[in-house]
Amino acid sequence: MRQEALKVSPSSQPSMTKKQSKYDEYKRRRKILLKSQAYIVGLISLLALWSIWGTGFNLLSLVFGTYEILVFIFTDMFPPDLSVIGSLISPALDTLYMSYVGMVISVLVSLILGVLAANNLSPHWIVARVSRSVTAFLRSVPAVVWAIILVSGIGLGPLTGTIAIGLSGIGILGKAYAEVLESIDENQLEGVRATGANWFQVIGQAVWPQFKAGFVSWSLYKLDMNIREAAILGLVGAGGLGYYLQGSINLFQYKEAATAILMIFALILLVEYMTAKIRERII
Amino acid sequence: MIKNKETFRQQKKVQNSIFTFLAFAFFVFSMLQLNIVPERIVRSIDRLGYIFSNMFPPVTNEPLNLFGAAIESIQVAILGTILGVLISLFLAVLAAKNLTFSPYLSYFIKAFAGFVRAVPALIWALLFIVAVGLGPTPGILALAINSIGMLVKVYGEALEEIDMGIVEALESAGATKLQVILQGVFPSVLTAFTAWSLFRLDVNIRYSAILGVVGAGGIGWELMKAAQMSRYDEALMVTIVIFGMVMSAEVISEFMKKRTNAATAQALN
Amino acid sequence: MMETILEIKHLNKTYPDGTEALKDISLSVKKGEFIVIIGPSGAGKSTFLRSINRLSEPSGGEILFHGEDIVKANRAKLRKIRRNIGMIFQGFNLVKRLPTVRNVLHGKLGYMSTWKGALGLFGQEEVEEALDILERVGLEKQAFKRADELSGGQQQRVAIARAINQSPSMILADEPIASLDPNASRVVMDYLQKACRDEGFTTIVNLHQVDFAKEYADRIVGIKNGEVYFDGPVHELTEDVIKAIYATDKEAMPV
Ligand SMILES: Nc1ncnc2c1ncn2[C@@H]1O[C@H](COP(=O)(O)OP(=O)(O)OP(=O)(O)O)[C@@H](O)[C@H]1O
Ligand SMILES: [Mg+2]
Repeated sequence: MRQEALKVSPSSQPSMTKKQSKYDEYKRRRKILLKSQAYIVGLISLLALWSIWGTGFNLLSLVFGTYEILVFIFTDMFPPDLSVIGSLISPALDTLYMSYVGMVISVLVSLILGVLAANNLSPHWIVARVSRSVTAFLRSVPAVVWAIILVSGIGLGPLTGTIAIGLSGIGILGKAYAEVLESIDENQLEGVRATGANWFQVIGQAVWPQFKAGFVSWSLYKLDMNIREAAILGLVGAGGLGYYLQGSINLFQYKEAATAILMIFALILLVEYMTAKIRERII
Repeated sequence: MIKNKETFRQQKKVQNSIFTFLAFAFFVFSMLQLNIVPERIVRSIDRLGYIFSNMFPPVTNEPLNLFGAAIESIQVAILGTILGVLISLFLAVLAAKNLTFSPYLSYFIKAFAGFVRAVPALIWALLFIVAVGLGPTPGILALAINSIGMLVKVYGEALEEIDMGIVEALESAGATKLQVILQGVFPSVLTAFTAWSLFRLDVNIRYSAILGVVGAGGIGWELMKAAQMSRYDEALMVTIVIFGMVMSAEVISEFMKKRTNAATAQALN
Repeated sequence: MMETILEIKHLNKTYPDGTEALKDISLSVKKGEFIVIIGPSGAGKSTFLRSINRLSEPSGGEILFHGEDIVKANRAKLRKIRRNIGMIFQGFNLVKRLPTVRNVLHGKLGYMSTWKGALGLFGQEEVEEALDILERVGLEKQAFKRADELSGGQQQRVAIARAINQSPSMILADEPIASLDPNASRVVMDYLQKACRDEGFTTIVNLHQVDFAKEYADRIVGIKNGEVYFDGPVHELTEDVIKAIYATDKEAMPV
C-alpha cells in the first residue's frame, strides 16, 4: 500500500504550482552538479589521504619545508661564491657539447625512424608499427634512467650523458618527425612521383621543402630541452655542470653550488636565446 | 627584378650551406672536446653490448619492494601536484594583470614563478634534501614548487585572457572581488585549468620516477641500487616498471581530461 | 513634480592618456524617466554611462544618486550603490559557461554575504524569483540552458533579467542592441521598456539608432565632444538638431 502511494509523482498532483516544479527542476540539476563535484573532490581527497599515509608526508612540513629552504637558500647558499666561476667554465662547456652531440645523434636516428614510422612514407605498416613502438618506449623512459644504467656500464663522464640524451631525444623527435611527415601535402608527392622520380628524388623534391620548417623547429626545441637534461644528468655522474653541483653539495660547499645553479640558469637562457635567433633566421 | 630574386635564392643557398657546415664542424669539435674518439666509441659499443646481453631476461628479487617504490613515486607525484595546484590557484589570481591588487605584486609573483620554473625539479629535490632530509617529503616539496613555477604561468595566462566584461558586469551588480572571481572568472577558465592540472600530473609522475636517484623517495632509488650492483637485468625490470608508470599516467590523464570535460559540460547545464 | 533620483553636476573625465572624454556635464534625472543618449562615435556616451556607477572613475564633479555622492563613496558604500543600479552592456557580459538561471541569480550577489555569494548558495526564494523574472522576459524554456547556447537577443534578455533581479531603482544600458539584428533589437527594447514601466525603473540607454531613440525615449540627451549638446523631449529633436549633433565640428550650428 505504502509503496503504491510513493509511486505517485509529485508533479501529477494538482496542488503543485508551476513555480514549484520549476524550482524542483533547478534543485534536481543542482543536485546532479553537486554530486559530480562531490565525487571529484572526494576522489581527490581520497588520493591525497592515501598518498599522505603512504609517504608519511606531514602537512606541517609544507610550512617547515618552506622555512627551511628559505633559510638554506638565504644563509647557506647566499651569496654565491663567484670565485669558482673559472673552474665552472669547462663543465659548462661540457654540458653544452653533450646537449649538442646528443641532439645530433637523436636527429640522425630519428630521421630514419620518423620516415619509417610515417604512414605515408613507410615501406610497410609493420615497419611503421615497430618504429613507433621503439620511439614510444624511448619517450616514456626518462633520460636519467638511461644515464644511471650507462654510468655503471661505461663509467662516469660526458660520453654517458651524451648517449642518454641521444636515446631519450629519439623518443621525442622520432614521433615529432613522423607527425610532421604525415601532415605533408599528398598531392605534391603524387606530382613528383608522376614525373617518374625515384624515392630519393621524391624525398628531396617534395618531402624536404615541406618538412624543413617542422624539422628545424623541433630539433632546436630538443636542443633547448637537452640543456636542462644535460644539467641534471650530471647529478647521477654523467658529467657537466650537474656533476660539479652534486660534488659541491656533497662537500657542503653550498655557496659554490649556488654558483653552479646560476651557471645552469645562465646556460639555459643563453641557449634558448640562440635557438630563438637561429629559428628566426632559418624559417 | 627576376635577376634579384635569383641572386637572393643563390645567397640563401650559400647561407644554408654555411649553416650546415658550421653545424657539422661544431658537432666534430664537440665530439673532440668530450673526448669521444672512434677508439672510445668502439670500446663503449663493446660495453653496451655487454650491458644489453646482461639485461635479459629482466628480473626482480623483491617484487613487493619494487611495487611499493613505484606506488610511492605515484603518491609523491599526486601530493606534489595537489599542493602545486592549490597554491598556484591562489598565486595565479594575484599574478594575473587584470585581477591583481597591485601590479608590483603581479610582477613579483611572475618573476618568482619564472625563476622556480627554470631550476629543474631534480635540483629542487637536491636542495630540499639538504634542507629537510632524505625521503619522500623533499620530493613532494620539489615537485610542488616546480609545478607552481609552471602552473602560475599557464593559469595566469588563462586568467588574463578572460572577457573582462564578465568582471565588469558582476562588479556593477555589487559583487565583491571574491564573488567575481569564484562566480564569474573560475567557471570561465575551468576547462583550461583542468587540462593544465592533469597535464602537470602527467609531468610530475615522469619526474617522480627519477627523484629517487638523489634520495627523494620512490622507484628511482631501486634503479640506483640495481645499477650500482651492475645488475642490469634488475635495472631493466625497474625501467620497464617506470615505463609502465609513465605510459599509464599519459593514458589516464588523457582519459580523465575527456571525462572531466564531458562531466563539466553536462553538470553545468 | 516627480522627485529627482540622479543629479549630475560638473562631471569631468580625462583618461590617463589625456583624452578629455567628458567636459563639465550636468544633468538631472527624474524618477521613472526613460532617457536615451545619442551622439556620434567617440562623443563620450559610454564614458558618461560608465562614470555613473564608477566602472570608469570620474576625474571631477558630483554624482548624487538618491542624494548620495557616488564619486565620494568608499568601497562598501559603492557596492551598496551599485547593486541599486542595473547595468546592461553591448556584449551581454554573461558567464557563458553557466546556465541562464545562474546568470540571473548573479544579480543578487550584491545583497549576499561575501562567502555565501562566492559559493553560489542561493536560497529557494531567490531561485524562484530568478525563474519568475526569466519568465517575464520570455525565457522560461531557456532557464537551464548554458548561456552561450542562446541567441544574441536572448542573451541580452538574460542580461536584462539579471539587472531586474538586482531590484534596482535605475538601469543603465550601453548600446544594448548594437550587436543585434533589427528584429531582435525591437524585442530587446520592448522588454527593456516594459520592465522599466512595470517596475518603475529610471532608465538611461545609449543608442546609435535615432529612430529607436525617438520611439522609446521620454527624453533625449545628445552628447557631442564630451558635452551635452541637446536635452529635451522627443518632439524637440528636429531633423536639424539631429544633423547638428552628428555633424562634424565645422558644420555645426547652434541650437
Ligand atoms: N580607456 C580609454 N583610454 C583612453 N581613452 C579612451 C578610453 N576609452 C575611451 N576613450 C576615449 O574617450 C572618448 C569617448 O569614448 P567613448 O567610448 O565614451 O565614446 P562613445 O560615445 O561611447 O563612442 P561609441 O559610440 O563609438 O561607443 C573617445 O575619444 C575615446 O577614444
Ligand atoms: Mg560606446
